[in-house]
Amino acid sequence: MFEGIGQELTEKLLADFRKCFDSELAEEFLQTLLTLMKVAFIVNHDYRRNIDTFNGRYQFCSEDGEVTIGVIFGNGRMKVVEDSIDAPHITVTFRDGRTLLNFIISPRQDILGSMLKHDVRTEGNLNYLYKFGFMAKQLQLMMPQVG
Amino acid sequence: MTAVTLDEIGLKEFTLESLPRLKELRTQYFSRQPEICIERARYVTQYLREHDDSAHSPELRQAKKVEYFLRHKSARFHDRNLIAGNTTSKALGAPLFPEFFALTLWPELETVSDRKKNPQKLTASEASELNLEIFPFWMDKNVLEVTRSQFDNPECLQLFEKLVFFIAAKAGCISHAVPTYTSMLQYGLSGLIKKAAEYEEELAGVTDADAEQKADFFRAVQISLQGIIVHAEHLAEEAKELATVADDPKDAAEFTAMAAVCRSVPVGPATTFREAVNAIWICQVGIHAENINMAMSPGRLDQILYPYYKQDIAEGRLDIGRAMELVGCLWLKIADNVTMVPEASEELFGGAGTVPAITLGGVGKDGEDAVNDLTYIMLRATELLGIRDPNVNARYDYEKNSQDYCRRVSEVILNTKSVPAFFNDKANITALCGQGERLEHARDYAVIGCVELASSGRDYPASSSIMMNLAAALEMALFGGKRPITGEEQIGPATPDPSELRSFEEFWKIFKIQLDWLIEQAITLNEYMGAVHQEMMPSPLLSALFIGPMDKGVDLIRGGALYNSSGATHIAFADVVDSLSAIEQTVFIEKKYTFNDVLEQVRGNFSGQKGVKMRLYLKNHTPKYGTEAVIARKNAHNMIQHLFEKYQSHTNYRGGPYHPSYWTMTNHAGLGGISGALPHGRKAGEVFSSGITPVSGAAPELTACLNAVAELGGECVPGCWALNIKYTPESDVAIMAERFAQTIEAYFRAGGQQVQFNIMTYEMLLDAKKHPEKYPELMVRVSGYSAYFKDLNEMMKDELITRTQYGLDDGRVVPLPPEAKRRH
Repeated sequence: MFEGIGQELTEKLLADFRKCFDSELAEEFLQTLLTLMKVAFIVNHDYRRNIDTFNGRYQFCSEDGEVTIGVIFGNGRMKVVEDSIDAPHITVTFRDGRTLLNFIISPRQDILGSMLKHDVRTEGNLNYLYKFGFMAKQLQLMMPQVG
Repeated sequence: MTAVTLDEIGLKEFTLESLPRLKELRTQYFSRQPEICIERARYVTQYLREHDDSAHSPELRQAKKVEYFLRHKSARFHDRNLIAGNTTSKALGAPLFPEFFALTLWPELETVSDRKKNPQKLTASEASELNLEIFPFWMDKNVLEVTRSQFDNPECLQLFEKLVFFIAAKAGCISHAVPTYTSMLQYGLSGLIKKAAEYEEELAGVTDADAEQKADFFRAVQISLQGIIVHAEHLAEEAKELATVADDPKDAAEFTAMAAVCRSVPVGPATTFREAVNAIWICQVGIHAENINMAMSPGRLDQILYPYYKQDIAEGRLDIGRAMELVGCLWLKIADNVTMVPEASEELFGGAGTVPAITLGGVGKDGEDAVNDLTYIMLRATELLGIRDPNVNARYDYEKNSQDYCRRVSEVILNTKSVPAFFNDKANITALCGQGERLEHARDYAVIGCVELASSGRDYPASSSIMMNLAAALEMALFGGKRPITGEEQIGPATPDPSELRSFEEFWKIFKIQLDWLIEQAITLNEYMGAVHQEMMPSPLLSALFIGPMDKGVDLIRGGALYNSSGATHIAFADVVDSLSAIEQTVFIEKKYTFNDVLEQVRGNFSGQKGVKMRLYLKNHTPKYGTEAVIARKNAHNMIQHLFEKYQSHTNYRGGPYHPSYWTMTNHAGLGGISGALPHGRKAGEVFSSGITPVSGAAPELTACLNAVAELGGECVPGCWALNIKYTPESDVAIMAERFAQTIEAYFRAGGQQVQFNIMTYEMLLDAKKHPEKYPELMVRVSGYSAYFKDLNEMMKDELITRTQYGLDDGRVVPLPPEAKRRH
């Protein structure tokens, strides 16, 4: 799946990513996810096809103001900035790392449930969120399974 | 004079054993797992990417898009069904409509096939095509996002996206229509195309914008109908091919016959019952190429098809068994598709079918008994198949239809445990006439989707435009325009703190301020989305199957139909009425508690000893809707009246009125699950009552319950309602059917518009929840539509379990068993 020099790093990141689901690293879920995503785009050709022609601007903010992260996709690349970005297609404001994890990904993706309970608020084009959710889900499916 | 000639209207000699084809098809139906069909998404995307011309009118662009899809749509025969054509490329398919919510599937493209609840199969290559080719094209092009960008992300849209105030259904569909097939059957699609061409020709040389728009519309009609004809030709070719390769001469003969049918109809007039049935089905397939599969209802098929049946019987070409086989085949075809429901939406919509409604019986346009032999054949087919879709409904005029008919419908309900639903002709015709419909048009009403009413082929009703959460308005009235779930955000107007109020009338006024504000938001968004639909989703194909558009030269989406209503339904009606009554009684009449006391306990979810005590009092000693309590009856009446007046003060973008209605699908469970405590003693998270049904356990006497609901019926509920009643099954079906029919008649005479039943006990449903494998085919009425119990989400199952159960023999409530109480 992952080849060459990225393999070791990717496996470590996937392991960290998996720990997020065990709640010990839930608060760091977003940072872990974005780092893993970035590496996966570099080392995995199939995964990179997701952003070959994709332009998207995402703003993630925690409710307490502690986290403000912008993610920009363009020219087949992914850029992460720890700041506000201009004209995001979608802004996602979340209560904490755990609620964001539940919202975006798993064990049972609960986008609607999270929105109904107002654990997460969004502003903007939800289709960007759905695409992001797919890319995150793909990474989740690559995670090493616990035996 | 009755048209019924059958010796035995129950048609008991026809069984699944004597109709082996239906038995086989039914078994296959229940064994199929739904598959996602990407065919339409693929071809409409391809068309828009490579062939669309934005300089053309919306009608023309839509027609060309639909024709392109129909030209490329696969022609398949999955089984031994006698009717040719399928909604999708799969035997049981969930089509994707990227114009609406298809992209919600994106996050689970790789998991939807194996998800725990209601999996829908999707191949890896199709998932990849959706991810890389199809979905990216639609990123900013679906109805929701076009509305957002065109209207600068308006406040009403942001409110809708919070999901807890109202649902704007136009983001997902309009659909919800009953076309008329009479002209199509009489002249064939070629006749309709010829007519459109003549109208277009008449406009040639007229250069004003209006004439050009009309000419474009007629051109669009021709193009889109041609798409159906091409698809029928493809079906004929495929059937012919299958006939040549079939090993069994019987199979070969059947395929040859189907090829002949598809070459004759729908392009030409139908000459036999079989041709008429297949022509209608192929047109339904065409309709689903243009509009999403949500409540596209074939209507009064026992009336439309009767002349063909009668003629074939008279000429010896058809017998009752063959007619029933064809009807059964049509029912199974109508059930060949499901909605694509992302896992995330299961909470609100899990288990819902596509709700194509069939309407039987009642009176004709002349006001006389319209029940005929075909009505009973269709009832028997419904009874034998016992499948979720189509949603079969029985109209009943207690003065014109026979009591035998009422008893027979009752018997079918008892045997299927849930279908059909009963509709009162007197009350419903009155309701439609109150909306300005001509009497003969109102008499020709059919049911759409769950329960909504429309004059067949004359009213384009957009009947599920708004789903309003009444509990949201109540909470906003209690908390000064805020809801506990949305925190400190000021949502509605900042109304006074209720603890400062001196009378219930003042609180009622505040409630209305919040409710009206929400309704204004919902209507504003509906109008915005309506404008987007006019640009994105005209319906020239469907327009050709309506009365009005062809005469006016105007698409349905621009007001071409004879009647042009929009529907608004309401969630938590009974809970809100009971809360209002509890406040009036305990705070302002008895003065047992102050408003502050009540607010404090509502905020705290009735916790602690004081909270428990108050909750028990509110639950057990305040006036309840569904009883004879005067305060509850007054508040229910006032609510119905106010909502009617509020909606009727608006005219929609197609020039028609808004019709309030009361059905809830599964939203009463989903929205109840996330709502806070309410003043009638309901704790946070408990499901709301469904449709217009009283709160579970609140109405102990059946007669009082039916009377309390019935007195609300008539002109103020033009969109109709769903009343759910659960009866204990009895061993003697004949005696129970008799009592059942008497109850229906009394309820209808009191003004009740609709009622639907679950003939099952608390214990049976508890067992079905515990052991779904024992009840794979258990069908239940939810709120308007039917569902398989096993497919419903947990909250909805609990709601069905705890619904009030009545004994029909004594009309008394059956006490909840302890296990069910724990879920209540």
